[in-house]
Amino acid sequence: MSEPDKALLRKAVARAVAGLTATGRLTIVEVAADGMTVFRIHRDDNGRPRCHYWSSSWEDLTSEQGWGHESSRPAVLRAADPFSADEVVLVCSFPEGAEADRALAWLSEARPAAVLPSDGPVTAIVEDVLASDPLTRSYDLVVLRADHASGRLRLGSKQLFPIGALPGTRAEVAVRCEPGDAYGTAFAVVTWQGREPRLLSVHSARLAPGSYLLTAELVRPGKVRFGGVPELTRDPRGWDDLVAAAPAQLPPRAGPAHLICAVEVCGPDAKVEERLSRVRQMVSHLSAELADLLRVSLVTYGAHSYDDRSAGEHPVEVAAWQVTPERALAALEWLEERGAITEGYPYYPHAAQVEDMLDAVARRLSTAERVRTVLLTVGDRPPHPARTNRSLILPCPRRHDWRLLVGRVQGRPDTLLAAICDREDTSPHPVWRRLGADALAHLDALDIRGLAADLGLAAPAALPIPFPLLDETE
Amino acid sequence: MQSDPAQGPPAHDIAMWGAPGSGKTTLLAALNIALMRRKDEWKIVGSDAASSDYLIERTNALSSGKIFPEASQSLEHYRWTLVGPAERQERRWLRKARPTPPLTIGISMVDAPGGLFSAGPLHTANGSGVADDLRRRLMDNLVKSRGLVFLFDPIREFELGDAFDHLHPPLTRLAEKMLEIGELRDGMLPHHVAVCITKFDDPRVLETAQKLHLLDSAPDDEYGFPRVTSEDARDLFRALCEVSASGNADMVVNALDQFFHRTRVEFFVTSSIGFYVRPHTKTFDWNDYQNLLPEAGKDLRIRGQVHPVNVVEPMLWLGRRLAAGGPR
Ligand SMILES: Nc1nc2c(ncn2[C@@H]2O[C@H](COP(=O)(O)OP(=O)(O)OP(=O)(O)O)[C@@H](O)[C@H]2O)c(=O)[nH]1
Ligand SMILES: [Mg+2]
Repeated sequence: MSEPDKALLRKAVARAVAGLTATGRLTIVEVAADGMTVFRIHRDDNGRPRCHYWSSSWEDLTSEQGWGHESSRPAVLRAADPFSADEVVLVCSFPEGAEADRALAWLSEARPAAVLPSDGPVTAIVEDVLASDPLTRSYDLVVLRADHASGRLRLGSKQLFPIGALPGTRAEVAVRCEPGDAYGTAFAVVTWQGREPRLLSVHSARLAPGSYLLTAELVRPGKVRFGGVPELTRDPRGWDDLVAAAPAQLPPRAGPAHLICAVEVCGPDAKVEERLSRVRQMVSHLSAELADLLRVSLVTYGAHSYDDRSAGEHPVEVAAWQVTPERALAALEWLEERGAITEGYPYYPHAAQVEDMLDAVARRLSTAERVRTVLLTVGDRPPHPARTNRSLILPCPRRHDWRLLVGRVQGRPDTLLAAICDREDTSPHPVWRRLGADALAHLDALDIRGLAADLGLAAPAALPIPFPLLDETE
Repeated sequence: MQSDPAQGPPAHDIAMWGAPGSGKTTLLAALNIALMRRKDEWKIVGSDAASSDYLIERTNALSSGKIFPEASQSLEHYRWTLVGPAERQERRWLRKARPTPPLTIGISMVDAPGGLFSAGPLHTANGSGVADDLRRRLMDNLVKSRGLVFLFDPIREFELGDAFDHLHPPLTRLAEKMLEIGELRDGMLPHHVAVCITKFDDPRVLETAQKLHLLDSAPDDEYGFPRVTSEDARDLFRALCEVSASGNADMVVNALDQFFHRTRVEFFVTSSIGFYVRPHTKTFDWNDYQNLLPEAGKDLRIRGQVHPVNVVEPMLWLGRRLAAGGPR
């Protein structure tokens, strides 16, 4: 096919396809040396052009009677059915042939149309035109919109590609994924027909919860390829199944909370540093979850000193009490710079002022306040007993009784005890089981998110959110 | 205060006997402090320069330095004299009472590394040839002595349970030797034995005594320390044997009964360092009496003042017994 002919034909076909309405029909008839091919093109529910085509040889069309016989005409017209189409394009790729001429004449007579020349198969041109057809409907991603104030979830959509978008177009959407259902998180694309969404495609995967920058590429009409998330697989569900899977409400949101972090700051520098960094993670994580609903207290404790050669021990220190996360993080920075406490050397090597810390905390906690309170103790040494006992650990100089004090803190309404213990041996001192009564984690295998959720300080991961979440603020 | 050995009282040979770490050397080191803290007039004096130096040095290390002696490596001999108060004699007839010279008890003490008492190989800095020589010398000393201070460490017994292993082998060898030289009396060894249960200050020992209702307090004790009298000490000893790690501790009692006349064996519940008392209260406190202080990566130190409990009593008992029996 000569290039100008080809370009002309492609343009004409593209114009005809672009002009197809939602219910319109386009017929392209290619008349060739040995027969004719009929292309019927319409738009499906999603506005995507669909094409069926079939070929008939001249022998089939003329049957026994021969080409000259009158009965051939209706056979040609029946095969092409030009009357049912809104638009007809005739293409002749063999102008010298008698059968072709005759057929063209019958077709133009029945449905006057320009005859475009062509010297090669039209199929490739039609396929190419359909694959690069601009969108006639916008393509939207199905999302859940979360209203954090009310906790309400609305199933909605976020536009990926507007009308007129061409294949190769890319779009980006920032979404948050929570643990999903059996299919994981579904990335569904819909088009809108009036108020009714039409499902175009669904792909899903189980994703690690978190924020993702989703990329979408329009490969061709009807096909969207996603990136920025792990590989997705085709999801067999229909629109009604998807709608049924969408929850109406966010999991109950955590209320205001007071996080008290008590950190053991004696022992090896590296350990102290590690403990403080875990506290930093926890405070940062919760301040992201709870924002201005969070109050933080920081208490540090070290070792007692019983040695008369020591200049006096470093007492329990309340570095911050019920302050904003920002101020707590600032106080934490100061503690991080200071590192492990060496004051009071030579200090007692096998225990720490856990009981003094408990006393300091218990004293400051008022019983009137009804705010979820969590005492998070990070350390590894046992406390000093209130009196000499078989543990051989010397008694607390102030005779504080850790059992009583733990009980007092724990007995407060809505107060939880969590601990991060970095003890190497398998059975830590019983105090750590008490201090970690509601959540006990090891320093090395720490899941901050899980710990926060266990303490009711963050959304529990139990309720599945099967679609990407869009924050209403965006 | 050094007396001339030539003029001193005849010395009675006493040997310390006990497993490694049972507290032999510490007990000797605490003896001087114990005497100085006593209200009666007993005192200890070295009978030669080396023995006096040892007394001074150990007293200082224990009470000021607050450190324990190192594990013994060789046999040490100390010659001391316990000097008692001048005793007043009863008024007789019309004659006025007049003071008699004070009672003095000469003791010649041998302190050996505890490992020498076991049959197994000895872990000293020296070679095994040296160990054999030490063992021979120790046996000679045991043969020569008539007084034994046998230390039973309940903590070691609880954790290792090897008191019997450190008693029985040398005991049978001793009996063998004594038989050889015709010194067995009624098939028994002639020695007087002060069995000292050590480390009474340890909570595990004190609590055991408390649970058995064996605690008593001496009315004249200025700190109000609990104590176990010698009559009850045997019961405590038996109870402590029951929690022995090896379960062999009851054989210790049997071995003592087999080799020594019951009348020649006395039990003492002792602590060389005693209980902790706070400087400003100066009284025993059940809530806080532990006198040991651990240090990171190091040995235990002594926490406060050293207040030896029942450390002099075994020596005096032995001294009196031996003095009554006359010099050998
Ligand atoms: N609690 C307590 N511990 C003691 C006492 N006396 C000694 N110890 C402990 O026992 C350890 C050993 O004491 P030593 O006096 O060296 O024992 P030993 O029997 O001479 O040991 P060897 O010379 O190795 O045979 C000391 O380092 C202390 O830790 C005591 O009165 N109370
Ligand atoms: Mg020794």
